[in-house]
Amino acid sequence: MTRVALLSIALLSLPAMSAPAEPPPSASRAGAPRGAPLSGPELDARTDEVGALLRCPVCQGLSVSDSPSSMARNMKAEVRDKLAAGYDQEQILADFEHSYGEFVRLKPTLRGVNWLVWFGPLLALIAGAALIASKLKRSGSGPDALPAPWSAAAVDVPDRGTLPDDPRLAEAMRRVRELAYGWPGGVPPKAGASA
Amino acid sequence: MIATLGRTLILLALLAASAGALVGFATGARPGAVAGWRWTRRLAYAFAALMVLANLTMEYALLTHDFSVSYVAHVGSRSVPTWVSIVSLWSSLEGSILFWGLVMGIYVAVATFRHRDDHPEYMPYAVGVWLACGAFFSFLLAGPAQPFAAVANPPVDGPGPNPLLQNHYLMVIHPPFLYSGYVGMTIPFGLACAALLVGRLGHDFIRPLRNFLLLSWIFLTVAIVLGGWWAYEVLGWGGYWAWDPVENASFLPWLTATAALHSALLVERKGVLKGWTTTLVIATYLLTILGTFMTRSGVFNSVHSFTQSAIGPTILVFLAAALIFSVVLLTLRVDTLSAEGRLETGASRDIAFLVQNLLFVLFTFTVLLGTVFPLVVEAVRGVQMSVGRPYFDRMSVPIGVALLFLMGVGPALPWGRAGREQLRSALLPPVVSAALLTILGVVLGVRNAWTLLALAFGGFTAHVTVGELLLPVRQRMRAHGEGALEAFRQAQGRGRRRFGAYIVHAGAVVVIAAVAVSSTMGSSKEVQLARGETATIGGYTLTFVNAERIREPHRESVRARMEIRKNGHEAGWLYPRMNQYENQREPIGSPAVRTGLAEDLYVSIHNIDVEAGSVGLLILINPMVCWIWIATAVMALGGLVTLIPSARGAAAAARVEASTAPLSIEGSS
Amino acid sequence: MPTAASSEAAPPRSSRINKRVLVAGAAIVLPLIAVLVANLGRDPHMVRSPLVGRPAPPFSLQPVGGGAPVRLESFRGKPLVINFWATWCVPCFEEHPALTAAARGLPDVQFLGVVYEDEEARTQAFLKERSSAYPSVMDPDGRTAIAYGVFGVPETFFIDAEGRIVEKFVGPLQRSTIAELVARARGGRP
Repeated sequence: MTRVALLSIALLSLPAMSAPAEPPPSASRAGAPRGAPLSGPELDARTDEVGALLRCPVCQGLSVSDSPSSMARNMKAEVRDKLAAGYDQEQILADFEHSYGEFVRLKPTLRGVNWLVWFGPLLALIAGAALIASKLKRSGSGPDALPAPWSAAAVDVPDRGTLPDDPRLAEAMRRVRELAYGWPGGVPPKAGASA
Repeated sequence: MIATLGRTLILLALLAASAGALVGFATGARPGAVAGWRWTRRLAYAFAALMVLANLTMEYALLTHDFSVSYVAHVGSRSVPTWVSIVSLWSSLEGSILFWGLVMGIYVAVATFRHRDDHPEYMPYAVGVWLACGAFFSFLLAGPAQPFAAVANPPVDGPGPNPLLQNHYLMVIHPPFLYSGYVGMTIPFGLACAALLVGRLGHDFIRPLRNFLLLSWIFLTVAIVLGGWWAYEVLGWGGYWAWDPVENASFLPWLTATAALHSALLVERKGVLKGWTTTLVIATYLLTILGTFMTRSGVFNSVHSFTQSAIGPTILVFLAAALIFSVVLLTLRVDTLSAEGRLETGASRDIAFLVQNLLFVLFTFTVLLGTVFPLVVEAVRGVQMSVGRPYFDRMSVPIGVALLFLMGVGPALPWGRAGREQLRSALLPPVVSAALLTILGVVLGVRNAWTLLALAFGGFTAHVTVGELLLPVRQRMRAHGEGALEAFRQAQGRGRRRFGAYIVHAGAVVVIAAVAVSSTMGSSKEVQLARGETATIGGYTLTFVNAERIREPHRESVRARMEIRKNGHEAGWLYPRMNQYENQREPIGSPAVRTGLAEDLYVSIHNIDVEAGSVGLLILINPMVCWIWIATAVMALGGLVTLIPSARGAAAAARVEASTAPLSIEGSS
Repeated sequence: MPTAASSEAAPPRSSRINKRVLVAGAAIVLPLIAVLVANLGRDPHMVRSPLVGRPAPPFSLQPVGGGAPVRLESFRGKPLVINFWATWCVPCFEEHPALTAAARGLPDVQFLGVVYEDEEARTQAFLKERSSAYPSVMDPDGRTAIAYGVFGVPETFFIDAEGRIVEKFVGPLQRSTIAELVARARGGRP
């Protein structure tokens, strides 16, 4: 159980680790390219990737890579030119952010309260797992727990301690349980705390 | 005249719903009040009838182009085809609320009629809650979102509905399915509130709760995927899901509803998790109201949102009231739903259900957080930022893959505590299928780690699911010596709920696998072609033959004629289009899709010049996309199968009925 | 039809308060409502410009009708009003008279039009038809529009003599607004 929990925590923190690092606060327009110039299919692929992180300002939520509008195509061309000149992804994103604001980044940075959107789900997972663990501990399974049904094909039949609504069916079940499980009156001993 | 008639009908509906809600609650507080229940029912039927009439009145106005009615003046047009006029009912804000009222009326009438003689302590409360919700929507229609306002100087013609909605026939079925799913969640909400108010959630009452939840769930599942299909076929960017706020609005209640369906099974089998299930059902309804606020308030930046309007604050007030009511109700009454059994600790199916619920709720929380977060940041930091597709894709992939795995592990585990031998024999064989499917993926070129993991878990789960489907068949063949076909018929007839549920799981496995593959294994190309030039992608060769103009009454289109060859053989033609509607500056493209079982060839126009004979195209190969649509249909069918009453219950009752005395155990029989 | 023959206890008369549900419910519901209320009335499509208070991005663009490229630096020393417009933009027609009158009435302020997503021939024809009191330049690949964070037209930037953007105005301008914003550009940031 704990192994599962640890694995899920690890899996869910992966996205947070991929959140972009804090960019320099006063990213100026000019600046030397930090990466190597790209060309050919690699340039195409990287243009798509970086474009997917930029929001088309005139569309509703589409990325620059996905949007067919002319503004998006112009922006994509600019991304391509910058990549070909050797600027790296963060420089390009910071450049567009300089013009349009943080709004244009589709992937939230880790500035200020933004950490909440990256780590919130992880915290929720931990809290939820803790809740389930504590609930199971309280309603711990003892020797008088109901045995598993004898065949998986019987899953349509409810196997709780209570009886069906139909009185004749209930009477029949009561008799069977008296005999089979030794429950007086066909009702199991009191089950325990609410779940 | 029509406008006055419509307004009158709406006001009467508001009256019926308000009165019915009051009578319902009063009757519920005083069980045994037969007259009160009778009047509650009548008022419910009256509300339904009035909503139906109001909608028919609006359709009549739309079809006769009666521009003295404000909504018709807003979306009607003489130059659109008839089907567009009919569909305009739900194309814009006020009409969509009217349509909401129609669906709600039908659901309330059906649910009231179906249970007019059952559950007498619960039903008045339930109907009271339904009619209270109905009263709110009637109030919207009577006030802030009036479709039947009178127009002082009726125009001769109207602008027609949004052109994006005229582009494809899917617009005809997507909203009805969506509303049937969305609005349908009101019924289980009322039933859950009734259970809390009465203070009991018995085996008898969880059945209708679950059935109506399932019915709405089926509609909602189909609607969400139809929306994705519509985005794919119409919008031209080649994808089917963009995590747009309005898409998320429809997805959030689906997530909690799926969790509720599973925990309802534990309520039925063991009498546990009653409070949790009612909380999930209530949350589902509250999410639909939040969703309707997100769509109509203009607060969220979305491609779907109806234009900013004044009804936002009104819906927010209702949402706040519903949220507070729900929290108070749960706080005061959830402890009355006492458990009758106990959850199994240790490796068992119970744990799997709990983890599944946890993951679905986590998924809901994540999507909700991401959607609402820009508003939070605006309030806290005063900065406008975006939470877009990259975030949601990142977050949903691990959760989706984990759920895929759980869908396999859960059914493989037995209901009681499992011993080590049992675990091994249950969990090892599917690993073989997992490995096979992964190897197949690697052979076919899959390199993305998450996709491979999805294939591995998909193979595991598929093995378990098929095994579970065949298990009762094999047991019958062994125990009763029946042939395969006969055993299948018998098993399916007696254990239909289980059978249907595993069909849904099978469909879900294929959907997740198809989504994983189509998201990571596609390829794209942007080309500029002159007449006669070709482009190649994958095994396809596309030749731009020519461009032609097409004039239709409501739009003018330019169409590119593309000849397709696949691996050297002729493979038909594709006709992507750019449509220019009268009132829009930018033309709207219609992509052309060649659907195949293994992959889709998707062509979308970026720019086209008929005179110069050149076209700029976006060409995509999207693998396995059609499997998403097919598998969703399978899921819906599985859900329907689950709803059909099983022969087993009826047979058991019949046998008991036939015997005149209780079973005698002493003698042999 | 027999009533439910279950063995559950009768509903308790007392209403106990489940504190955990109350706390959890309040923790989810109250912030949610607060966030939604705080954002009511805000138009998500109106995005504030981060360039206000920062140096105006440089450009070098061709005037309409040809000629030597016009550069931002050449306008140093005078307040500058840059108006992004297009021939297909209806609100641009509406504000054109106000801008023309302002340009004529304020000779110490430089006005410049930047044509956004349009064709040279159409723009020339348009300008021939209507008088214009200030030059316009073409932005064929939209790069300058991107550098200025332009979402659509018309958008107008008011720049002071040192080259700092004092204000960005989205939508059609009126004379009074132009006068007010030019005054701010003259006096530097308030």
